[in-house]
Amino acid sequence: MINLIRSEFFKLRKRGMTWTLLYIMLGIMVLINIILYAVSKISLPNGEPGHLANLSSILSLQSSIPFTFSILSSFGAVMAVILMASSVGNEYNWRTIRIALISGKGRLQLLGAKLITVIVLVIIGMLASLVVGFIMSMVTNTIGGHALDFGFFTGSYLWHQFLQFWRTLFVILPFTFMGFLFAVIGRSAMPGIAIGVGILFLEPIITGLMGLASGWVSRIPDYLFAANVDAINALNGLPAGPGPFGGGTATQTASTAFTVLGAYIVVFLVVAFYLFRKRDVTG
Amino acid sequence: MIPSIPATPHPDERRDVILRTSGLTKYFGTLKAVDNLNLEIRRGEVFGFLGPNGAGKSTTVGMILNLVEPTSGTIEIFGRNLKDDPWAALRRIGAVIESPAFYPYLSGWDNLEALAISIGNVTRAKITDVLERVNLLDRAKDKYGNYSLGMKQRLGIASTLLRDPELIILDEPTNGLDPAGVKEIRDLIPQLAHESRAVVLCSHLLHEVELVCSNVTIIKQGVTLVTDAVQQLVTRGQTLEIKVNDLAGAANLLSSLPWIKSVKIAGERLMVEMPPERAADVNQALAEHGLYASELVNRNTGLEDIFLQLTGGTSVD
Repeated sequence: MINLIRSEFFKLRKRGMTWTLLYIMLGIMVLINIILYAVSKISLPNGEPGHLANLSSILSLQSSIPFTFSILSSFGAVMAVILMASSVGNEYNWRTIRIALISGKGRLQLLGAKLITVIVLVIIGMLASLVVGFIMSMVTNTIGGHALDFGFFTGSYLWHQFLQFWRTLFVILPFTFMGFLFAVIGRSAMPGIAIGVGILFLEPIITGLMGLASGWVSRIPDYLFAANVDAINALNGLPAGPGPFGGGTATQTASTAFTVLGAYIVVFLVVAFYLFRKRDVTG
Repeated sequence: MIPSIPATPHPDERRDVILRTSGLTKYFGTLKAVDNLNLEIRRGEVFGFLGPNGAGKSTTVGMILNLVEPTSGTIEIFGRNLKDDPWAALRRIGAVIESPAFYPYLSGWDNLEALAISIGNVTRAKITDVLERVNLLDRAKDKYGNYSLGMKQRLGIASTLLRDPELIILDEPTNGLDPAGVKEIRDLIPQLAHESRAVVLCSHLLHEVELVCSNVTIIKQGVTLVTDAVQQLVTRGQTLEIKVNDLAGAANLLSSLPWIKSVKIAGERLMVEMPPERAADVNQALAEHGLYASELVNRNTGLEDIFLQLTGGTSVD
């Protein structure tokens, strides 16, 4: 298993796409910080800044880490889905799956190695994003004339961010594993990427419409992804901001959200492993 | 990775049977892809596995490599049922299936290194050695995606040698190779078998199979048509071509000889199916009856002719 993981790391490290996804994620972090900083400087004619007033607090050094978590739970999830689905699906696209399967290791071990490798790379990407997000916050605060005060770095703050790091990883995983599952089902990277990323972006729209209905239809979103992701993201205590930039309000309790998303994670993994173990590899 | 070797060798291992399939059958839905296939491959043997398109060769190879689940029948590798511990068996096999497939963004070297890491305990010197062996060392740092088909084939063979397998399965290993490359691979295959390995060769180049294989199985639509030693098959189809002034008289005379299997008149010649070593006896028999042959030519029926006869002239996969 260790050898398989090392081999997966070797392949992904040598692959340009892995680095491209990382650079895109870091670029997004830089871009969003710059855009929000620029928007926070806009003076509204009626003197009522609304959400814009909260931008300064989102861009504050103290909020930069929770803000990065918030960005990671959406854009980071997209990168993770692409990485995961292509790691599995391209083995079919390039027909290298047969070489991998006849290398004398178990099928489940092979799939497990891929899963572990991608999760470790996602964690590395998250850490890199946190560093870039924090540096960008320092830059925008310096440009904005704010003194860089690191007094908020208390034990309790760090512990809270440590927990939020793993919570953010947890909300990324259902989408990542969905990409994983559909790459296995479709024997290609594309179904995994299309369905994983598609659900990530389309579900909030669909559930928003469902929320307008009454009765049981309006309760369906509680058992899908977005409402539960929001409930976990809300734990990071980020001030409310415009659109997706800032903390939201949760309609679910955190424990329900963990249970629902945890159930999705388990189902996606079990089905993917079962299919991969049982299916003939032909063509 | 050190292969798990049982303390007491299984009887098959002592008898050097590396691979045995018994009643191997595979259905895809209602389509019977392989029907009751029985193979036996021994150490040191180069075994030809032939059949037209869709004959079931790749499905069979897939079952041997645990990529395809058999519907019924058993596969024993190194004397052990494949189902019992497929991974231990696979660690002793190297295979290039259909066409070689590697990561296009990695160089030839990196592809082998990725494989070597997953296998474990494969040194960089070993990678150099196998690349040298297939004459690819000078292009090892080029991206696999930029390789010619012949180079891809050679990298595929190199990959099978990384772990010193005891059974090598090569599916069309000379595809895309130029004549010099074909000769290189043709020379390499018997060498591999002589290193205490067995080689299963699926190839559409029947002349190549005839040159390197000791035994052959020909299948069509999943059914075994023949399994025999190549030499036996080729000898079975040997004919003597005779040019003689009185064709009908000579045909009557030769038909009466008990060791002649058949006599046919083809144009201005007689085609006589008989043991090749008795050509002189034919000449003598004709002369004793006043019939003088102006030409006597031994015609070897090649494996290709046998294949076409057996499969009804279908193209070879």
